[in-house]
Amino acid sequence: MNSKKHDFEPAGLYVHIPFCRTKCRYCGFYSEPIKNHAPRRLISAIITELTEKRGQPALSNIEGEPFFKTIYIGGGSPSCLPAKQLFQLIGEITSRCPKPEEFTIEINPGQVNKDTLNQLHTAGVTRISIGAQSFNSEELIFLGRKHSVADIGRAVRSAKEAGFDNIGLDLIFAIPPSTSLPSTTLETGRAGGSTLKSWKHSLRSAIDLGVQHISAYALTYEEQTPLQKAVETGEVTPVNEETDRQMYDMTIDELEKAGFKQYEISNFAKPGFECRHNLNYWANTPYLGIGPAAGSYWQGKRTLNIADIKKYIEAIEQGKNVTAESETPDNIQVACETAVLNLRRRCGIILDEFKKQTGFDAAKLFAEPIGKYKKLGLIRTTGKRLYLTRNALPIADSVLCDFSTT
Amino acid sequence: MSTELIRNFSIIAHIDHGKSTLADRIMELTGAVSNREAKAQLLDDMDIERERGITIKASAVTMNYEHGGKTYMLNLIDTPGHVDFHYEVSRALSACEGALLVVDATQGVQAQTVANAYLATSVNAELIGVINKVDLPSAQPDITAEEIEHVLGIRKQDCFHISAKSGLGVHELLDAIVTLLPPPPDNSDKPTAALVFDSECDAYRGVICYVRVFSGELKVKQKIRFMGVGRTHLITELGKFTPKMSPVDRLSSGEVGYVIANVRQLSDVTIGDTITDDANPADKPLPGYVPPMQMVFSDFYPGNNTDYPNLRTAFEKLALNDASFSFIPQNSPALGFGFRCGFLGLLHMEIVQERLERENNIDVVQTAPTVSYEVLTTDGKTTKIDSPADLPDVSAIEELREPFVRLEIITTTDTIGGIMQLAESRRCKLIKTDYLSQNRVMMQYKAPLAEIVYDFYDLLKGISHGYATMDYEFTGFEIGDLVKINILVNKIPVDALSLIVHRSVAENRGRKMLVRLRKAIPRHQFEIPLQVAIGGKIIARESIKPFRKDVTAKLYGGDVTRKMKVLKKQKEGKKRMKNIGAVEIPQDAFMSILDSSD
Repeated sequence: MNSKKHDFEPAGLYVHIPFCRTKCRYCGFYSEPIKNHAPRRLISAIITELTEKRGQPALSNIEGEPFFKTIYIGGGSPSCLPAKQLFQLIGEITSRCPKPEEFTIEINPGQVNKDTLNQLHTAGVTRISIGAQSFNSEELIFLGRKHSVADIGRAVRSAKEAGFDNIGLDLIFAIPPSTSLPSTTLETGRAGGSTLKSWKHSLRSAIDLGVQHISAYALTYEEQTPLQKAVETGEVTPVNEETDRQMYDMTIDELEKAGFKQYEISNFAKPGFECRHNLNYWANTPYLGIGPAAGSYWQGKRTLNIADIKKYIEAIEQGKNVTAESETPDNIQVACETAVLNLRRRCGIILDEFKKQTGFDAAKLFAEPIGKYKKLGLIRTTGKRLYLTRNALPIADSVLCDFSTT
Repeated sequence: MSTELIRNFSIIAHIDHGKSTLADRIMELTGAVSNREAKAQLLDDMDIERERGITIKASAVTMNYEHGGKTYMLNLIDTPGHVDFHYEVSRALSACEGALLVVDATQGVQAQTVANAYLATSVNAELIGVINKVDLPSAQPDITAEEIEHVLGIRKQDCFHISAKSGLGVHELLDAIVTLLPPPPDNSDKPTAALVFDSECDAYRGVICYVRVFSGELKVKQKIRFMGVGRTHLITELGKFTPKMSPVDRLSSGEVGYVIANVRQLSDVTIGDTITDDANPADKPLPGYVPPMQMVFSDFYPGNNTDYPNLRTAFEKLALNDASFSFIPQNSPALGFGFRCGFLGLLHMEIVQERLERENNIDVVQTAPTVSYEVLTTDGKTTKIDSPADLPDVSAIEELREPFVRLEIITTTDTIGGIMQLAESRRCKLIKTDYLSQNRVMMQYKAPLAEIVYDFYDLLKGISHGYATMDYEFTGFEIGDLVKINILVNKIPVDALSLIVHRSVAENRGRKMLVRLRKAIPRHQFEIPLQVAIGGKIIARESIKPFRKDVTAKLYGGDVTRKMKVLKKQKEGKKRMKNIGAVEIPQDAFMSILDSSD
């Protein structure tokens, strides 16, 4: 080993648990019903992958330990793992990556009880991210969620009681009405779908639960999802653009009124409770992803693991590489990716950091789009930063695409 | 050979009335070609001509015909069938002493028949009335004869009833050509003067001029001068089309044939020019020479930008064989690289476009045709303006004049009302109506050319259920209440979209453009005002609302590569667009605004 204190930058560790009890119709992430698989084998494989990658020299600092500042277990639904495997996994991780600054686990309402939450807290998990999605029953049904509105409140209260003081809720807006739902399943008799009123209700309910973090996502029609197919067949009509926009604007207004600060396009937190692990992605600093379908940005490479539980396990067990896709972006590409990711943050590109990280002067490299969008009032610059204006946020892609290449 | 034994004649007819068939039959009966050869209508040497049933270029065929124990030399000079080629027709007709005016007995007199007959009369050609297709069940030879007498003044009993297809009556017609048409005057003792009535370009021999010798003679190795363009050349070959090219030593007064004299480019020869002997020239050129006048203009852009060089090559090739066609490179910020093309008229334009696509396999986008304008500026100068962009500032314009035509429409009486309505809506003034027969009428209008170049013909066909025919002839430029309308996109005027129009239709035309623009320009990050302006005054407006939402909700670790690809694609999409005043406009959208095909 060389004598430098660190031969890599501090990084994040992401663990993907590709299990769900049932698949939600909008979800584009890789997951399979847990009943089809033996979770034990998968967890062993994930631990093997972590151990192997931990062993690579570049992964270790001088003490021989990987340097992960943040840990995030996501999915899928990590909370649907049997307690034994879940805590085995957490134990293995914490023994290899002690004292992270932040350790998040995603849970679904209704899938964890108070005991589990107590144990998670004890095991070193510092942050709970709850997939609440909506506080309107019709919308939960439409999305294919299996929990109730009441489950969300219970989960938050239990987490608090277990000692968590950093709890985040995920919410979804612009949910279309569905005519295919049997009206008997609906509490109000209406065909679901978010309205400005129902969305405000979800936001207020989340605020009232006293959480520290809220992610608010416009419903995305991911390719190959049942929801996308329903749109194609005309069964589902997406919420019109104007309503979508109004909901987004309302999100920012309501949450900021309630003391949350928007720090990324879809993310809001009480001061000091921004998700550090996710900030890592938008900073475009390295992270290691393990588990099926997990993505990494590691040693200058962007890789994706095999998105198939069975094949992933077999590869690990046979000592083979689990990388399915790999790309090594060149310097310019890195600069572009960094710019696009940075600009999703409200703080935008911090020019000094950008220069240090990529070697490029962002103001020069992107002079053309900067000039154009400053004129249109979509980008603002100070001596130190370059960031999207409030008006640019709802149409960020149309601006960011001009930073995707030079 | 004495000119007494020469007859120079043309056949003039409306499209499909049987001109080419009659020419074939005449060549067959005179032994110029065998029946089998005649299958391919020899005078039409381009596919497209045959398919459209019209002749683009004039040709000449020399035949021998025995009559009364003497052998006559018959020179059949072919004419283009459409008055777009008015000038070429007039030159071909002036090379003849007479013409066969062919009318289809099932169709009656048509607009082109009338226009061509007027032309023939204007160059003092003797007319023989010929009623064709008399053997068809639906033939109405008597009514047709009456129409001919009524409109064209040829006595009905003097008309020949024939069937060009079967040959019925064609011998009698040949006899009539000899007996009724005058021979050319004998001017063999005078200085050489030969009329160039057509020309074409051969890849190996250069330009071939079709000539009619009016006085003196042409000889091989003679040094000749084209009086109009002032160039001198040495004759390398003389000949006649029999219909194959048959070289001769000389062409004498009254004869028709071809001249090859080392002329490289078609543009070096102008139709209507006079060839004379360089050493012993004629005092003055033959009358009637006018440089070809282009009245209709349209921009051609390659459907695919990479086709630009191919398009240029194709135009160069076309221009070699068509001196009336012109093209000037055009670079519009909106539309990219293309050409502004000038044509004699609408049909000429259509033919060029078709040849372009057929012979070169280039996909082109063509803008709606416009006309030439004449501008009298405050400093007293008169200039011709072919493009609205060239129009001087309003303050410098004393008068703006537009081209007018005499428009003839022949239709059935039951469609008069609809046609009158159409004509009125297009600022056409009725000069007279003339009943050809009980249920057919000829309407003569004075019409602004700009109003009929675009969709007038299609509308006319629609109103008359395909029955009406029209033809027009340029009469002159006249002052008009014309304005230039500018289209502003995001407050920036787009040159390529400006138009010169009559004030009465300015708002309407402008609005139509705006509606098309609104559909063609994708929504942007900001609202885009679209305006129509005359000078500084906005006369119509529209706007394209901005898009309200375009953002990826989730972007985390595993999504970066995929998302970057999507963004790059989005950027690529913008790159292919033209940027006008911060507005990105897809080029094909621009094309769809200007495209004349819808």
